[in-house]
Amino acid sequence: MAGNPKKLQEKSTELATFYVGKALCGIDILSIQEINKHFEVTTVPQAPEYVVGVLNLRGRIVTVLDVGKKLGLSQIRAGKQNRNIIVRSQDELVGLMVDSISDVVTADQDRIEPAPSNIGGVKGKYFKGVMKTSKALIGILDIEEVLKE
Amino acid sequence: MIEDDEILQMYIEESLEHLSDIESDLLTIEGEGENIDVDIVNNVFRAAHSIKGGAGFMGLTTIKGLAHSLENVLDLIRNKELIPTPNRISVLLTGFDKLEHLMNNIQASNDEDVSDITDALTNITKSSLSEDKQDMVTNTVDIALQDGRIFPAVSQYSIEQAKSEGKFTYLVEYDLIRDIQRNNRNPIELLDSLEKTGIIIDSRVDFDSVGTLGDTSSSTRIPFQILFASILEPDMAGTLFDLADEFIHIITDDMLSASRGDHEKETAAMPPPVSTDQVAAPTAQTQARVSTHENTERSAREQHVRPDHVEVQHVKPLQEAPKVEKSVTTAPKPIVQEPVQSTEPALKKTLKQEAPKPRAIQEPVKAKTEPQHIQKKAEAEDVEHDSSNMNLSKPMGSLRVNVTLLDTLMNLAGELVLSRNQLIQGINSSNTKATELSSQRIDMITSELQEAIMRTRMQPIANVFNKFTRVVRDLSRELGKSINLTIEGKEVELDKTIIESINDPLTHLVRNSVDHGIELPHEREAAGKKTTGEIALRAFHDAGQVNIVISDDGKGLDPDRIAATAVKKGLMSEQQVGELSDKEKIELILLPGFSTAEKVTDVSGRGVGMDVVMTNLEKMGGIIEIDSKTGKGTDIQIKLPLTLAIIPSQIISVGNEKYAIPQVNLDELLRIPASQVKDRIEKVGDADVVRLRGNLLPLLNLAEVLGIQKTFIHPDDNKEYPDKRTSVADRRSPRYNKDGKTDQNHPGKSDHRTGEDRRYRSSSAINIAVVSAGTHKYGLVVDELRDSEEIVVKPLGRHLKKCNGYAGATIMGDGKVALILDVSNLAQMAELTTMAEAERTAKAARAAEEAREKARDKASLLLFKNGPEHCAAPLHLVERIERIPVSSIENVSGKKVVQYRGGALPLFELSQVANVSKLPATEQQEIIVFTVKGRELGLMVTPPVDAIELSLDIDDSTLKQTGINGSMIIDGHTTLLVDIFDVVKTLNPSWFEEEKAATEALMEENRQKVILFAEDSAFFRNQVKGFMTEEGYSVISAEDGEIAWNLLKERHHEIDIVVTDLEMPNMDGFELTQKIKNDPTFNHFTVIALTSLASDAHVKKGKEVGIDEYEIKLDRENLMKLIRKYLNF
Repeated sequence: MAGNPKKLQEKSTELATFYVGKALCGIDILSIQEINKHFEVTTVPQAPEYVVGVLNLRGRIVTVLDVGKKLGLSQIRAGKQNRNIIVRSQDELVGLMVDSISDVVTADQDRIEPAPSNIGGVKGKYFKGVMKTSKALIGILDIEEVLKE
Repeated sequence: MIEDDEILQMYIEESLEHLSDIESDLLTIEGEGENIDVDIVNNVFRAAHSIKGGAGFMGLTTIKGLAHSLENVLDLIRNKELIPTPNRISVLLTGFDKLEHLMNNIQASNDEDVSDITDALTNITKSSLSEDKQDMVTNTVDIALQDGRIFPAVSQYSIEQAKSEGKFTYLVEYDLIRDIQRNNRNPIELLDSLEKTGIIIDSRVDFDSVGTLGDTSSSTRIPFQILFASILEPDMAGTLFDLADEFIHIITDDMLSASRGDHEKETAAMPPPVSTDQVAAPTAQTQARVSTHENTERSAREQHVRPDHVEVQHVKPLQEAPKVEKSVTTAPKPIVQEPVQSTEPALKKTLKQEAPKPRAIQEPVKAKTEPQHIQKKAEAEDVEHDSSNMNLSKPMGSLRVNVTLLDTLMNLAGELVLSRNQLIQGINSSNTKATELSSQRIDMITSELQEAIMRTRMQPIANVFNKFTRVVRDLSRELGKSINLTIEGKEVELDKTIIESINDPLTHLVRNSVDHGIELPHEREAAGKKTTGEIALRAFHDAGQVNIVISDDGKGLDPDRIAATAVKKGLMSEQQVGELSDKEKIELILLPGFSTAEKVTDVSGRGVGMDVVMTNLEKMGGIIEIDSKTGKGTDIQIKLPLTLAIIPSQIISVGNEKYAIPQVNLDELLRIPASQVKDRIEKVGDADVVRLRGNLLPLLNLAEVLGIQKTFIHPDDNKEYPDKRTSVADRRSPRYNKDGKTDQNHPGKSDHRTGEDRRYRSSSAINIAVVSAGTHKYGLVVDELRDSEEIVVKPLGRHLKKCNGYAGATIMGDGKVALILDVSNLAQMAELTTMAEAERTAKAARAAEEAREKARDKASLLLFKNGPEHCAAPLHLVERIERIPVSSIENVSGKKVVQYRGGALPLFELSQVANVSKLPATEQQEIIVFTVKGRELGLMVTPPVDAIELSLDIDDSTLKQTGINGSMIIDGHTTLLVDIFDVVKTLNPSWFEEEKAATEALMEENRQKVILFAEDSAFFRNQVKGFMTEEGYSVISAEDGEIAWNLLKERHHEIDIVVTDLEMPNMDGFELTQKIKNDPTFNHFTVIALTSLASDAHVKKGKEVGIDEYEIKLDRENLMKLIRKYLNF
């Protein structure tokens, strides 16, 4: 679903947006299972650096990733606004820890442009495209790329 | 609506089920030879038969043909016209194997060429028939019905067979829609029910007569024709078939006419693969048809390349062709139509062989005219069919569950719902009691539910075991060996996943036993064994695990050869190998890259070694143990958990996180008190080791392996600080260098800070989980040992796949996730080499230590106090320890007694006998109850009472007195060793008088009896010698086994019996006994072994070398009884 870049062009999509550091990112709302504030993670020694830990989400083990570190930015700073975005990918649930969440916006095909090589310090390969709104520039994340081991 | 898929699936499942039992039946038939057991043959026959029946309906022509040929042979065996020789059974087995293979690849089955097998089967059938009948086997006849329709290509043999048995042959026509579907029946069930009253010779769906959508004149029936032979009279038939008479045709001879095609054509003439509701669900079969088309094309090409092969011999009437066309139009998509047009699945075969028909040529050409079009469609369809095809290629995707079990589950689910309602009510009304009650109920139901669900997954191990009869049979025939396989414990149940994954390792092991274990018959004869080798396969439950033992009485494994190979292959160095025991050498075959077979046979040499077996088993949480005796045979024991989904495990914690260690890997838990750390944890090379019952065990610090920053709460200010310790061992722990010698550079206990013991807080105790995985055993140092819990294993996400230290994760009671440790990978992460090195160094140190230990004797003592004095008594004399109120002690005629178990127990204290302090007055009195001369008496002592096992190093002069053997230092205290016999003798001389009288009578006689007594400890030598001389025996004593052996050689004429200690320097008791028992001059001597620790292993080892009796040191009474038994009869 999320992995198909063509999807965006088909019809208007709703994007859930959130902040990673200062970058405003968005993902297709349909690929999100839920957004929560569970942070009782169990740390996993020897795990890749970007793994925050594992979480019990109603009986399922969810790996929580620090999106900041994963995208090559600095670590997500712990704060009250932190959220866990649970996405479904390749038959498993993965949690994306983000600094804070923002609005849900409708992606307008006309305003989506190919991603530049760099958005706010994040490599362009992580994006499917960018969308300009009146307020800001939203980088539309390619979830599968972000979740690559 | 009946889904075509569903029926096919059901057919496959049922057929596979039939097939699964066949193998063992066939082998039984083979075993019985001429004494044919009709019941068993019938079983197999029925299986082949019902497969054939279903195949006819499904349009699975190849399967049908094969099943038919099998059936013919079985029929002959059943009628005792054919003797089931091993060769014939082999053909049958191959046939059924092929059938199973076809079942598993049902979609491609029609394209498979099974002619070699069918030919072989046909030949068997022919060979048993008279010449004039032989042709019938291959001949087919067509049956013409009154209305002109034809039931083509029926085996003439079957019809004749039925006729000769006096049966009526019927052709009944069911309508798939009206008679079957609308009545909620299904064709397979119908066939099954008919089978009960007769034999189904053939069945097909008559598509020729199916009308098209546009064709209103044609009948709307889809006739499902069954050719059925039964002894049932025609007038009864209507009732049986439940059909109108017009659809029941009695077959008479004049309806039969020789088939237009020969045997090969039988398949070709079969109707195309059909689905019950072709219109609604055409896709199900398209896959098959697409491939049919490909074949056609290929055949066409062949056709063109080799035109010389085209000989028009049999002209097939064209009657059928247009009809096929017609039926095809009912299908909605052109794609369906296309392949159906080229409908002959067996066309390839037909073309290759000699009988191509005109149509066959015409057909491919037609196909060729629009190949582009087809290709595209086929591709497009392919994608869609992949998924449905996948399902079909895995016919084992479903599981049969006992209905009672299902009912139980349903009941439990019901109860669960009720309890939930109660719980909700309880919570809503804040009724604590009700909440508690319902939570208890839920707890109970959950456990039951868990068990019931688990049971649905359980399957008998017979599923795996049964096939080994065949494996062993085939393999032993191939290798020219004679082997008898016994299977025990087929009913043992295991989780489905385990059953599935254990198949390969077990097959490998069984094959190994056959190939490498059992010798050739002449070799066995030369070795003095029965020519027939024995392989036993056993499964049994033990300690919550399933044990599988594969044992053979073959040549066994040669530890030295294995070791040599390991060295040759560079897996180990010569020196390393030298340090291994035989068992360890044998276990080297589990190392990766090892294979002992000198001759690489077809059987082994397939690149899968024992290491793969081990890895596979370990993945399942299994353990493998090998026990082998050169020349005698090999036992391989596998231990498996019952299920993988829920496993019992030990929870431990490091840092702030909890971890689970599967109980299978856990040997024991160890807590080393702070005060003992410096004595029990040592450093060997760079590795920490712990001293555990005389062995050194390598230690692994979990925090270090996983790279967890350890913290500790400082006891003084309660703040958390990072823990800077890098080593578990204390500075003052003894150190050894790699040779196992004490390291002179780091002499233990000589730090400048020594002096006061700074590790006094209980929190600095070291907790160790002793774990083992495969050949590795080590101690995992953790922060805390917690509960043991049953955990549910859940997989970790893909981002954590590279973390080898974990086997998965689980959710704890508090909702947090805990990681499950993978014990064997942890050992690898800590670098196996250093581990192995540490182990070896530890072993060297252990050996050095053992040499020292060996010179001493070990004994179990009970430590207690007598007022301020520390005392000890041999533990084996102690009956039990009691605490009684002082007020219950009575003074009767100068003696203290207490009422005890309905009698009076005499009490005494040590000061009555020996010169020691009197006991202080207390309210409670600890009493150690001893049994002497069959009578009990209690020694009053001061707590604490504790048991200890240690080397005896007794000073038998300084403090020796009446009732006291001597003294030794235990835990820094001078401890008196109490001689209970002496005490009792002094207190109650009367107990011994009776015996004394008896002994005195024997004294004179005894002086003639000479005992050779070997004992290295001076204390025991004097003590035991004392017992013996007191009874008048003459004793020759020796300091060790070697001296004893020399004495025996010199003076064997005077010696009557040998009493020996087991643990001695130079030559131990085992060796001495072995020497005595192996020497014809001495082997008449009775050998009594004295030991302080009679473990079962010891006793077994002793019995093997020939020790006649075992006795515990210091148990004077029994020892003397034993000596008297042998010397005075």
